Amino acid sequence: MNKRQRSTRCLGAAVSIALLAVSACSSAGSQNLAQPSGPLTIGMSLPLTGPVADVSRSGYQGYKLWASQVNAEGGLLGRQVKLVVLDDGFDPNQTAADYTRLISQDRVNLLLGTFSSLLNAPASAIAARQQMLYVEPSGGSASLFTRGFTNLFFAQPGTTTSLPDQFVKWITSLPASQRPATAAYVTQDDPSASPAIAVFQARFAALGIKTVYSQTYDPSTTNFDTIAAAVARAQPQLLIQGAVADDGAQFVRSLEKLRFSPKILFQTNAPSDDTYPAAIGAQNTQGLFAAEAWSAKAAYRGNASFVAAYTKMFGVAPTEDAANSYTAGQVLAAAVKAIGRIDQKALAAWLHTHAVNTIVGPLRWNSAGDPEGSLLLAQWQDGRLQIVAPQSAATTTTVVNPKPGWAG
Amino acid sequence: MTELGQALVFGVLAGSVYGLMATGLTLTFGVMKIVNMAQGALLIFSAYLCYTLWARFGIDPLLGGFIVTVPLAVLGVVLYKLVIQRVQRIDQGLTIVATFALALIAEAAIALAWGPNPAAATPRYFNQAFRIGSLTVPRAQFYTCLLAVGVTLALQAILKRTWLGHAITAAAENPEGARLVGVEPARVGAWIFAIATASTAFGGAAISFLYQFTPDSQDVWIGLTLSVIVLGGLGSVPGAFAAGLLLGVAEAITSTYISVRWAAAVPTLPILVALLIRPQGLLARATRQDTGT
Repeated sequence: MNKRQRSTRCLGAAVSIALLAVSACSSAGSQNLAQPSGPLTIGMSLPLTGPVADVSRSGYQGYKLWASQVNAEGGLLGRQVKLVVLDDGFDPNQTAADYTRLISQDRVNLLLGTFSSLLNAPASAIAARQQMLYVEPSGGSASLFTRGFTNLFFAQPGTTTSLPDQFVKWITSLPASQRPATAAYVTQDDPSASPAIAVFQARFAALGIKTVYSQTYDPSTTNFDTIAAAVARAQPQLLIQGAVADDGAQFVRSLEKLRFSPKILFQTNAPSDDTYPAAIGAQNTQGLFAAEAWSAKAAYRGNASFVAAYTKMFGVAPTEDAANSYTAGQVLAAAVKAIGRIDQKALAAWLHTHAVNTIVGPLRWNSAGDPEGSLLLAQWQDGRLQIVAPQSAATTTTVVNPKPGWAG
Repeated sequence: MTELGQALVFGVLAGSVYGLMATGLTLTFGVMKIVNMAQGALLIFSAYLCYTLWARFGIDPLLGGFIVTVPLAVLGVVLYKLVIQRVQRIDQGLTIVATFALALIAEAAIALAWGPNPAAATPRYFNQAFRIGSLTVPRAQFYTCLLAVGVTLALQAILKRTWLGHAITAAAENPEGARLVGVEPARVGAWIFAIATASTAFGGAAISFLYQFTPDSQDVWIGLTLSVIVLGGLGSVPGAFAAGLLLGVAEAITSTYISVRWAAAVPTLPILVALLIRPQGLLARATRQDTGT
């Protein structure tokens, strides 16, 4: 072997080693072993345009606040955090395409989730296929956690399955004489509402509360008069509605017209919407129950400073969606700090075995990424949405029961 | 019996609102053969104007509807002159694309002006009701029903008792014949568009206090109003009112006795039946099809 042949062979060996090193670094589950410099990229696709653009905007702002705070404290793993954001226009197919692009083309280091069960379902499936950690700020439909994914984590205290927990607990705590004997269940046909209503119905039936009416309506329903009339004829003492958006206010408006006011009224999501009191008449909110993932007044660590920082940064108070995305960022950061490197499998394994303190309280997950807590039970009292349970987050010790009749 | 009576009351009241919302569309479709896909956007625009008059100045939305007719009539003429007339010269069929584009632009403009959050006016009567025996008659819907009857009668009077009305009717029924007696269908077009968009103001006023609405709520109403005018007969204002009542009652009966979920399919079923048995619609007369413009 002459000198020229030896040098060619050495060069070939060096190239082979380099290729092997590159291959090892880019393989899923063990990225960035060499601790590269430059910003740490975190990819996400959000519905920044389309029908839920308003909700998404505050959620995006929650992410931006989290990233700015992390960067102000020196970043993650000593690297500044950079958000890589795509717009899916609330299209599940576009969401799937965006997350594929973020992983395979943009080669982001980490992922964060998008909004709604509709979009998080395909996004989390793409992440699972690519063995990437996926922390989602919303998407609490129980069906998302039955697919056997081990890399999916929901950054809220509970899902649709545990949504009824605090309210059922409160009903159970009532003396037998005050407990409702009859109940009616009305729900939108939506993955974030109808499964929760089914759980309500089963658990109240087990308590001996008789179902006198049950109805599921299409998401396109705008006129609730006939449903409200049927509910009024059934005269339930307890009324539960799986209300996703403006259907909550529309249904109450129909009940008001019929002057039917149940003793206890619970709606899943709608009452926490900013426009809800104006739509049904501010006085008529008194005593209405709802489930919430987050409260600005809850005394969890970091919550007050989050509210103050968000208000200062964006000039408005944070919404629940902003809090949820901020929480997702907190969960991701906790895992990265604990593991000390970007190792997708190790990050997921750590989250499966550790609790994370967040602005919505300590979060802990089962093997499916389903949080082991429950949502907050809120009630409108004197024009303010107060938290009545659990005790650790309660903002009042008073519970309005029974609900007063409709004003006006 | 009370159950049936209540369903009929709700059906008639809801149906009159449907008829009210479709009056503008039936004029443009029936007379000008233009499927105005911007009708839903005009309804929502009108709803926002009425809501703003109520929220800012305390003007009752029902009264606001009358006020809003003026700017909407002007808007109708502007849209006709700037867009519809020009597009018609190229290809009559392109008007559906042009009005669809207008609907998209209007939705974006409304979102920019009022934001994406739901709005709803709550005048004093919005959640009140009359009691007639065991039946409940919601006041807001009852007033809207009266408004729908009034608008239908007024438009019918304009169509039957004024020269403009005769010109519109002539242009609708026999464009070639209308030309022979000095009525140019294209010139009548601006008037029809003005009347059609002005009458949309009342439908928007009804939406403003009967429902919560957002800039994209037009999607809900365009399908329904198209169903109403096909069932009622193109160009027939009383037909639109009657078709609205029929759909409203059918929805209420279906919701009460079959399922709320089936109620969503109601608008399509009577249309299928009507198209098979009476294709010209409930109250429109069958006309010769060999006299097109």
